[in-house]
Amino acid sequence: MTVQTERPPSGPAVALKTDGGGPARPGKRAGALAPYLLLLPAVAATVLLLGWPLVKDGLLSFQNLNMGQLIQHVTEWNGFDNYQETLTSPDFWRVTGRSLVFTLVNALLTMGLGTLVGLLLARLGRRMRVLLLVGLVLAWAMPVVASTTVYQWLFAERFGVVNWVLDRLGRHSMADYSWTGSQLSTFFVVTVLIVWQSVPFVAINLYTATTTIPKELYEAASLDGAGPWKSFLSVTLPYLRPFLYATTFLEVIWVFKAFVQVFNINGGGPDRLTEILPVYAYIEGVGNQHFGMGAAIAVLTILILLALTAYYLRIVLKQEEDEL
Amino acid sequence: MKRRLIAAIGVAGMLVSIAACGSGDGGGKDEKAGADGYKGQTLTVWAMDGSTPDTWQKDVTAAFEKKTGAKLKIEIQQWNGIQQKLTTALSEQNPPDVFEVGNTQTPAYAKTGGLADLGDLKSTIGADWAESMNKSAVSDGKQYAAPWFVVNRVVIYNKKIWADAGIKDLPKTRDEFYKDLQAIGKKTDAEPIYLPGQNWYHFVGLTIGEGAELVKKDGGTYVSNLADPKVAAAMETYKKFQALSKAPKDKDEATPQQAEVFAKGKTGAFIGMGWESALAIKANPKIEKEIGYFTIPGATADKPEGVFLGGSNLAVAAGSKKQGLAKEFLKLALSDKFEGELAKEGGVIPNKEALQSNLKGNAAAEAAAPAAAGGGTTPLIPEWAPVENAPNPIKTYMTAVLKGKSPAAAAKQVEAEFDKRLSQKQ
Amino acid sequence: MKRSLFGRAWPNVTAVILFAGFVFPVYWMFSTAFKPTGDIISENPVWFPTDITFEHFRTAVGADHFWTLVRNSVTVTVLAVVFSLLIGLAASFALARMRFKGRRGFVIGFMLAQMAPWEVMVIAIYMIVRDASMLNSLVPLTLFYMVMILPFTILTLRGFVAAVPRELEESAMVDGCTRAQAFRKVILPLLAPGLMSTSLFGFITAWNEFPMVLVLNKAPEAQTLPLWLSSFQTAFGDDWGATMAASSLFAIPILILFVFLQRRAVSGLTDGAVKG
Repeated sequence: MTVQTERPPSGPAVALKTDGGGPARPGKRAGALAPYLLLLPAVAATVLLLGWPLVKDGLLSFQNLNMGQLIQHVTEWNGFDNYQETLTSPDFWRVTGRSLVFTLVNALLTMGLGTLVGLLLARLGRRMRVLLLVGLVLAWAMPVVASTTVYQWLFAERFGVVNWVLDRLGRHSMADYSWTGSQLSTFFVVTVLIVWQSVPFVAINLYTATTTIPKELYEAASLDGAGPWKSFLSVTLPYLRPFLYATTFLEVIWVFKAFVQVFNINGGGPDRLTEILPVYAYIEGVGNQHFGMGAAIAVLTILILLALTAYYLRIVLKQEEDEL
Repeated sequence: MKRRLIAAIGVAGMLVSIAACGSGDGGGKDEKAGADGYKGQTLTVWAMDGSTPDTWQKDVTAAFEKKTGAKLKIEIQQWNGIQQKLTTALSEQNPPDVFEVGNTQTPAYAKTGGLADLGDLKSTIGADWAESMNKSAVSDGKQYAAPWFVVNRVVIYNKKIWADAGIKDLPKTRDEFYKDLQAIGKKTDAEPIYLPGQNWYHFVGLTIGEGAELVKKDGGTYVSNLADPKVAAAMETYKKFQALSKAPKDKDEATPQQAEVFAKGKTGAFIGMGWESALAIKANPKIEKEIGYFTIPGATADKPEGVFLGGSNLAVAAGSKKQGLAKEFLKLALSDKFEGELAKEGGVIPNKEALQSNLKGNAAAEAAAPAAAGGGTTPLIPEWAPVENAPNPIKTYMTAVLKGKSPAAAAKQVEAEFDKRLSQKQ
Repeated sequence: MKRSLFGRAWPNVTAVILFAGFVFPVYWMFSTAFKPTGDIISENPVWFPTDITFEHFRTAVGADHFWTLVRNSVTVTVLAVVFSLLIGLAASFALARMRFKGRRGFVIGFMLAQMAPWEVMVIAIYMIVRDASMLNSLVPLTLFYMVMILPFTILTLRGFVAAVPRELEESAMVDGCTRAQAFRKVILPLLAPGLMSTSLFGFITAWNEFPMVLVLNKAPEAQTLPLWLSSFQTAFGDDWGATMAASSLFAIPILILFVFLQRRAVSGLTDGAVKG
């Protein structure tokens, strides 16, 4: 999906021919403005509706804004107090570390399993492939608000079907196991949910991508004496690399921002041990009605996400440069 | 900020209250004048889920629309997330005109300047409001809300299961209660009691029974008092009973809805509010004839268990542009007729002693009444409200103890979070 | 021989297991919704509902303003997706096909916009909308949802536009079409799968959004379905039957949309990704 991938070799050459520098044509001035005009609505909407809230959030992060101030529309500047308090709080750093591990684990699991399922799809016969595709699409299409509700029911302590199955399998201690009772088990449920939801996207796309690999590449590889594993490494993987980069980037963003899943499953509990950054920002800001503090945490959250994706953004930056 | 707003509201309020006073004593004339003045307006009232029986809503709406000529819109709100919803609503141009606010949350809202001063209402209709209930509505000597009702919890039990276990008399003391539940566990295949780990209102009741305070003052600020041995004693009682239950240790009584578990007919008892039996009956109509109620027994037979008086006040938004109409509604809703009807229909304790006769014949209310006198609330301080925001540190404390921590260690575990919330900047 | 039988069997066996794993939560949602409460809260799960009841669906649909919320959700979602496709297409065409100063900056800008954690900005958004006196209206919701899905739309469509062979466009222009005509007659039809797959993502995002509508629209008439679903969870606690019925109703439109668009969309999606 996204795109930031290599262009087919012919692309740039053609591009140069059409748009490139050639002798000045009539109407060139208008032509030079065209891209900006085409971009204008999108840029304007984004600046207005995303940029403005961002700036507002930045302003709020320097304010002491609680119930009283909000109700009475009072602005009380308090400098860097919110940042100071947040950055010196061990909680914040614990949550940050947890967020990073959470994002890494989920993104890796999703990408790993998604790739395996995608390769499996490529191996299956037509009927089995359609069957599995149907399953994947159903899971993929479940709206997240609905699926968190369903997962709560699956993992319910009493009458939940997961506990019943575990009990039947001989793990009797699991008969009334509370999945939301500990940090690890809560993360387990959230992770199963996220992976279940995200694998279809990766798998289906990867499968479709493999179908576009020219057969000749494999033939050439086997002529060189490559086995299935070797040809996977030398043909499939390099061909899919840009796709894998782009998908991993998206998964990292989505997992990092998995607010609804974490919040709905257990509210960041037990004992605030499963709060990831967006949940922490919400609970400190909106939940505790400490809105200025919440805004400061939001700003820090954005910075951390930027740092997390910086590597990929740099690749894109270079790639775009090469293209032009 | 505050000055400008309060001044504006004060003037508006005065104008309206003068108008209202002018015609206050001449019944018929008042109605007519009102009918012309309020026609075409709509008053929005936020009531909490479970507070207002349907018939009460219907009756009060009819009476209000007849009396004032204005429309009444009662919007039912969920408890979950209500503080955030209310705070933002009060900051808006068109806040709800009248709203129900929990007694433990009232002081914090009083402090925000979001509530209109109801001093005049207190002096016109509030002379006989129960003093104990009015406490939460007064802040710094000012009347910020009107007491509406309180409820306290009782034991709701399954008569058939208790009979199957061979129990003849209802328990009078905590020990008898425990022995009866044990007997149910031994002699029947039912779960003796359904008590989830985070029924924190019941726990607060137990601390009141022990005479414990949840917070204490340390210098100028409030801090956690969970380390108090009396709190630990209350928690030990809770733990002892909770051990008889298979209910989750980290959930409150609404997940799953305890009444619905009870409705299955395989639970001996649960601790809940009278109206919860209606939920059970809705889930399983056959359960109705098996439901009984009794007062939560205390340590000794002469004194019932301490209970949390979960109450609600009615407040008027300072930002409402319909101050006069809002007060008309309060006068009506809090009148003997409708306050009495609320008590009768909902089985809640009304705001005046004189109206308590309405509770006669309501089995749940009769079981609740003996304990109400010894009941109490969480500390009525503005600093309290943040404590109730999820994740509530008291719930965390309870789960920690139930999962094996000593009360002292659990108190230490949540102390930082508790203190942080109590000291949160306002 | 034995080995090759095993070799042929394991992908199929794995596929069946995976299928079961992916489908089960969806199946369990629907089946719970149709079961009487007694079968739901039961010591032994009832795997196949025998006693079908519509009771839970009645409870779910019987909620106040249900149909208003459906209308609101559909309006907001459809408008947000359509607007974002319109302005997204224009932008993606520029980014994919034209050379101009700052192109790279725009691409990076939209990638950054895609990362915006909207949930943590709700209070800032709330205060902006409140001070503009636009609360309890579908207009801000539509606009914000549009911007929420816009970066993804642009970046994905850019891939699709780039995948359309330039020669086609050129030959159309040689045949006397203007650039706009060439776009409309040649590129647009080829972009159909791309538009569909992009819109799917937009539909899901807008259909699901709930932290924002929660603070912006308190009036019940101005709310959307995710709020109804979550209020259900709190109001009914663990009335799993009603909650699952509500979840089912909520999921059905998206499920249908997916099944309907799936084939073209899915293949389209990767075309965009890989060939982009």
